[in-house]
Amino acid sequence: MLKITDLTFSYSSTESPTLNRVNLEFSAGELALICGPTGGGKSTLLRAINGLAPHFTGGNLRGRIEVAGQEVTGSMPHEVAHLIGYVNQHPENSFVADTVEDELAYGLEQLGISPAEMVLRVIEIAMKLGLEDLLRTPLASLSGGQQQRVAIGAALVAGQRILLLDEPTSALDALASAETLKLLRDLSTEHGITVLIAEHRIDRLLDQVDSVVLVHGDATVSKASPSSAQKSTPWLLNRHSDKSARRTEPQAEVTLEVRDLSVIYPGSKALDSVSLTVHAGEILGITGPNGSGKSSLLWAIQGSGHRSGGTVKTKLGDPLELKAAARLSLITLVPQQATDLLFLKTLGDELRESDKFAGAAPTTTASVFSALTGRVNPALHPRDLSSGQQLALVLALQLVKDAAIILLDEPTRGLDYAAKQILAQQLSKLSDAGKSILIATHDHEFLGQLADRVIELENGHLVGESR
Amino acid sequence: MRQFKASRVQPGAWWLLGLSFAIAASLSTNPIVLLVLSVCSVAIIVFAREKSAPWSNSLKFYLLLAGAILVLRLAFRVIFNYSTGQGVVLFELPALRVDFGFGSPVELFGNVGRASMQAALIDGLRLAAIILSIGLANSLANPRKLLKSTPAALYEVATAVSVAITLAPQLIESLQRVRRARSLRGRSSGLGTLAGTVIPALEDTIDKSLALAASMDSRGFGRRGTLSVSEVRTARASSLAAICLILSGSYLILTSGGSQFTGISFIAMGIGFMALSTWLASKRSNRTRYKKLPWVLQDFAIFSLGIAVIIAALILRGV
Repeated sequence: MLKITDLTFSYSSTESPTLNRVNLEFSAGELALICGPTGGGKSTLLRAINGLAPHFTGGNLRGRIEVAGQEVTGSMPHEVAHLIGYVNQHPENSFVADTVEDELAYGLEQLGISPAEMVLRVIEIAMKLGLEDLLRTPLASLSGGQQQRVAIGAALVAGQRILLLDEPTSALDALASAETLKLLRDLSTEHGITVLIAEHRIDRLLDQVDSVVLVHGDATVSKASPSSAQKSTPWLLNRHSDKSARRTEPQAEVTLEVRDLSVIYPGSKALDSVSLTVHAGEILGITGPNGSGKSSLLWAIQGSGHRSGGTVKTKLGDPLELKAAARLSLITLVPQQATDLLFLKTLGDELRESDKFAGAAPTTTASVFSALTGRVNPALHPRDLSSGQQLALVLALQLVKDAAIILLDEPTRGLDYAAKQILAQQLSKLSDAGKSILIATHDHEFLGQLADRVIELENGHLVGESR
Repeated sequence: MRQFKASRVQPGAWWLLGLSFAIAASLSTNPIVLLVLSVCSVAIIVFAREKSAPWSNSLKFYLLLAGAILVLRLAFRVIFNYSTGQGVVLFELPALRVDFGFGSPVELFGNVGRASMQAALIDGLRLAAIILSIGLANSLANPRKLLKSTPAALYEVATAVSVAITLAPQLIESLQRVRRARSLRGRSSGLGTLAGTVIPALEDTIDKSLALAASMDSRGFGRRGTLSVSEVRTARASSLAAICLILSGSYLILTSGGSQFTGISFIAMGIGFMALSTWLASKRSNRTRYKKLPWVLQDFAIFSLGIAVIIAALILRGV
């Protein structure tokens, strides 16, 4: 169905290629997982298939790509739109229309399907993806999982036989990502669609997929069966890592005491009277579905977020009453949109600015950063880093501040297993040094390895606690 | 009764109503008529807007703009008071002569005549009424639905406009988010605030629009179909020519100075160009429209209300 021969891709003629002489073949109805280290070229491989690389990213592509025997090398994305569907990492940024129905129809309009047939095709794809009750719904009011399904539907509505997805489950909670996976499995098995998924969170996927494409990070790519891929590659094996990394027990000293914290927005209660206590050296996990109030809780504790009621007690008092500088030295928060914190032109500038602000010795931030993600050319623009590298950078900036309380919102998004392992070690060290760490995440595996306690939120309420 | 929804009405009908209010306002010199037009615009917006739509929340902005223009107009008339000194004096201010060293000296303030204030008030009211009527069209017509009914030859331009319209609120949203996030990082001295907020917000918006462009392209946007490059250019050029000709034709008919004959012939030529571009665009077989909104009774009602407003304004003016 899809055949890639001798594909070489480089972003600039001076740099070494991101992908070097890649040979791959996928059959109809194959569900393949593309995995590999952070910044290794997974997204580039996906984009090269439908022409987004180089036409949207710049760069230089050589080799040959064939879809169903037809050569498409060098085509613009719109020229292969009837053959290949592409789903972006953030579906909410890819929507063109206002309602589900119009969004599904958009691709058909562009391909010139007749109005009468369009109506049929929209209904057909909606039935296939379970969207028939949502056709008139505004896209903005859908949940993350529903938005993902609409994006998949919009990519397949014209009968495309190949579906490319860039991290389709990274922003979804456990339930929604399991549903998305099941849907992709059905699409490949029952409808014969070739599905290629680039993902970091591979634990749930490995048992589901037909094949694994390993992007090794040194520009080479190989394909294996799921079982042999697990055996042959160390960074896949890390999934069952030991909990022996667990450190000394938390201390008795209470560093953070939250009482009846509420966050109420007009028309919705994001957080309803949540109370919790965190000790020095303790790692607290916060889980719950999308929209359950995890981020609101972290922001309200930090003091920059909205707070409608309740108190937060720390050794310096309520963060809400602290001056900005004092607050920063007490509590650090790594937000979900990590790139919001980046504003300089090069990676090197960001690292130097961070040392200067924290009053740390030069290269302190750089060493935390390279421990997380390896050496990266400091002349690169922060926006040109992979999303995992960007997150590592922001983690490094915030961790060197040496705050006593560390709040992390989805810190493992886009990180590969090796990087996650190193992050876990770093956080262990910090908690050994007496820091209190709160982690809001969908990544239960990560919490299982690290957290002393895990609390669960649902609709703004604290509904459970486990050790 | 089913609830009335602005989104169920043809966006073209809303634009026609808004434009007819604007035309009526520009024709009128009667402050009561201008006031009625302004109040009607605001009332229609409040009655018909859908709170959920991002473009509908701009009423406050239009009201502020209209108010500011009215106040500025009056203030300017008081400051640059070039009244001839005839007529009833409303109030007296000490005159201020300013000599710039070239030209004749300018006299500021001085006696403010009733006639001149009245003229300024009517001018200001007229501008305010025009702004509110454009606001009416803008807050009620869904830009994306308007896109559906634009002529095919202008499709690309219209897409750019509608993407820009949706990006503006997104930029504001990212500015707010980035400003909040900035407090999390802190800055060493010597780094401007501008760098810390505007750059990430702009980058974020550009990233989002690139993602949108990539998604549109991946779904086939930009396919040229069977038309050659020169045919596409001709179609686009004649669409633009049609719009320009029709607009200037209407301007000539509606303003007192222009000749009616030239106006009418401009409009006729405009219609000719429009036919050409539609014919060319229809040759391009590749793009279709999903569920075009049909014109129904309420659209025609709003449409005819617009026409009636223009006719009434013409009659009131004594044409």
